[in-house]
Amino acid sequence: MADEHGGRFRLPWSGSAQRILRREPAAALPEWRDTLRSRTLICAALLAAWTVAIEGRLLYLQVFQHGEMMARANRQQLRTIKLPAKRGEIVDRTGHVLAYSVDADTIAADPSEIQDPEGAAALVCHALDDCGPQQRQTMTERLRGKGQFAYLARQVSPDEARRVKALELPGLLFYKESRRYYPKKELAAHVLGYVGLDNGGLAGLESTFDARIRGREGKMLLQTDARRQAMSSREERLPTAGDALELTIDEYLQHIADRELRIGVAENAAAGGTAIILEPATGEILAMANWPTFNPNAYNASDIVARRNRAVQDLYEPGSTFKVVTASAAIEERVMTPADPVDCSPGYITFGSRVIRDTHEYGVLPFIDVIAKSSNVGAIKVGMKLGAERLGRYITRFGFGQTLATDFRGENGGIVWNSDRLDPSALASVSMGYQIGVTPLQMAAAVSVVANGGELVEPHVVRAFIRNGRREEVPRKVVRRAISEETAATMTDIMEAVVERGTAKAFAHMEGYTVAGKTGTASKLVNRSYSKSDYNASFVGFVPSRQPALTIVVVIDSPHANGYYGATVAAPVFKRIAEAALRHLGVGPTLNAPPPVIVARHDAHTGGMAPRPAIAPVTPPRAAGLPPGEMPDLRGLSARDALRTLTRIGLTARIDGDGFVTEQSPEAGTRLVRGDGCILRLERRAVVPAGGAQQ
Amino acid sequence: MSGIDFEYAIKKDVRNNPIVREVDEARQRQLLQTVVIGGVLSLVILFSAWQRFALLGHGYEMQRMQQERAEQEEINRHLRLEVETLRSPARIERIAIKQLHLIAPARDQSIVLERVTPSAPPEKSIVAAR
Repeated sequence: MADEHGGRFRLPWSGSAQRILRREPAAALPEWRDTLRSRTLICAALLAAWTVAIEGRLLYLQVFQHGEMMARANRQQLRTIKLPAKRGEIVDRTGHVLAYSVDADTIAADPSEIQDPEGAAALVCHALDDCGPQQRQTMTERLRGKGQFAYLARQVSPDEARRVKALELPGLLFYKESRRYYPKKELAAHVLGYVGLDNGGLAGLESTFDARIRGREGKMLLQTDARRQAMSSREERLPTAGDALELTIDEYLQHIADRELRIGVAENAAAGGTAIILEPATGEILAMANWPTFNPNAYNASDIVARRNRAVQDLYEPGSTFKVVTASAAIEERVMTPADPVDCSPGYITFGSRVIRDTHEYGVLPFIDVIAKSSNVGAIKVGMKLGAERLGRYITRFGFGQTLATDFRGENGGIVWNSDRLDPSALASVSMGYQIGVTPLQMAAAVSVVANGGELVEPHVVRAFIRNGRREEVPRKVVRRAISEETAATMTDIMEAVVERGTAKAFAHMEGYTVAGKTGTASKLVNRSYSKSDYNASFVGFVPSRQPALTIVVVIDSPHANGYYGATVAAPVFKRIAEAALRHLGVGPTLNAPPPVIVARHDAHTGGMAPRPAIAPVTPPRAAGLPPGEMPDLRGLSARDALRTLTRIGLTARIDGDGFVTEQSPEAGTRLVRGDGCILRLERRAVVPAGGAQQ
Repeated sequence: MSGIDFEYAIKKDVRNNPIVREVDEARQRQLLQTVVIGGVLSLVILFSAWQRFALLGHGYEMQRMQQERAEQEEINRHLRLEVETLRSPARIERIAIKQLHLIAPARDQSIVLERVTPSAPPEKSIVAAR
């Protein structure tokens, strides 16, 4: 490979070296430099063209295509996600939660990624708790769909979601949705209502106050990287939590009402029933129970009849309980006084071919006994004397024929006669509570008129709205004055007579308490005629009658055991509810009552800043005859046990604190004198008495 | 080119040792300035890049912590729900009667303790810690 110079190799610097040797000028460029230059120029031109092309492309993309590129980048990098607002919680009057929202897992799928829809549906269905063949079939059909998204199961439990995740099926998607829970299950179910899968209220308070409870969802802008991992976020709009509702419902009283109503319905083989506990002075509904009931956590599994709030949606003919209205009107209009005689003989009254009978032939009765013994003939005669116009006016004044409670959507206003069209037969019927349709809540409100001194107070179930920690109380609302205080007092006497010596004597009488009430038995209208077998048995009353704390209405639908009278069927339920409720509320006996045991209330939140209330002595009535002895060792006992012990030996006590007795004065073993007082200091820390084991 | 010429060309002694280039102070200063400016610019760029990456890192960290906080809050909500479920009066009564064999007290076994202070709520107030 010899070159033209005879050498084997052509060294790169050989040209320069020769030039140096020959002392030649550098002006005459050799051929290779031309080649190099031309190639360099070509490279430079290519590089320049490449640069220009890139710059041009950049210019095109960044200037002319700016908008589109930005939009595409935003689509890839920015995600706007919705921040769901939590539904406001619903609590009872003591702060116990009745409705609460938590996140639940929803299982969806991308059908395009599912190879075997049937197999996948079977596996998912197997992992879920209550997935039947129908749901499995629905899943299969959805997975066979052509879309890219299909729901499989919404708002499942964490355990179910965990089991489905463990399947590791490709194409399954999991995300969180807010789900409403009712931790007390059936408790106050009809009052609370329920929400659908889309978190919208469908019934009850959830529906009535949906706009307030629902809140407003927020929006967040999320910047993500290539792996869709969030890099940064910006909250464009904060989610606004819904208002919390504080109800007038007392969880424990509601439980009592539920329990006793359920027992009452079962004992009497009835079709259903309603019980309402109302605070007559304020119109606050403390409990509203219906049977049959349902679990709002799984409302779809219940019958639609069970979901109906009978207390406000169902009308019934009140029967004799309505005589309270007739009597109130007669007394207010000075048509009757309690002592006025009413001739109830011969035990029946006729209107054309229609005959209305009493259960007994009473003869002449004072007006008070007409109501106490619930004489239909007597009530009709009073109604006739009163006249259609005046009776109709009082029916309206007592709140019948109109919706009363704005808290209940779908409340039935009831059916009342236009007084101008009341013929004598209809007037007779209305006077004794027939041919008029009322709701149990209307009846409770009407009787509360008598209980609270004559005012019709709007019954309500929402006590306060709580927004951002600020409590906005719902005020008591007086609709109108229905009757005077004097009439209300007279009616209280009459209703007390019903329980003391009238129809409810053996059934609603409560030892230690004065009770005012009225029984009612009304034949049900079946196929446009009054049934001989189905009745509505009801009792309505208030306790303690002289200082009413509670108005209670009990309506039992179609009882078929233990008779069908309001006295035998509904009054015992009323009594059981009243006894338990009074004990729970701490309302002491009003008849021959022992002096109350009063203890200081130490609320934790007062933090010692509030002045300590005076501590009244305990007066022991029952153990006064016991001989005094030595002071027992009360340390370690609860307040109740200590008081019981002291009462037994005839001592009075002053109590300071909560919990268990830690100190006492006089000391254990001290000789006592009858009438001595004792001071007990209580603390939460239990102390085992020196003398022995704790009782 | 012969081998001698080549050797001469390679080995020719260039006697330029006594020639010393004069130090151009102006160029030295320019060089120093350039180096300093370059260094500062590099530092600025590095600092800017560090800031950028630190921001990204903090962004990831914040997202992680926010998610963790949301998870903890949700756990708290679940626990509260569980507590309220366990507080159900029906459940407590069932356990009291069936498991503990308790019975409701009769009238003569109970004393009504009347509270001295009323339990009515304030008209309008800040509801704390609910």
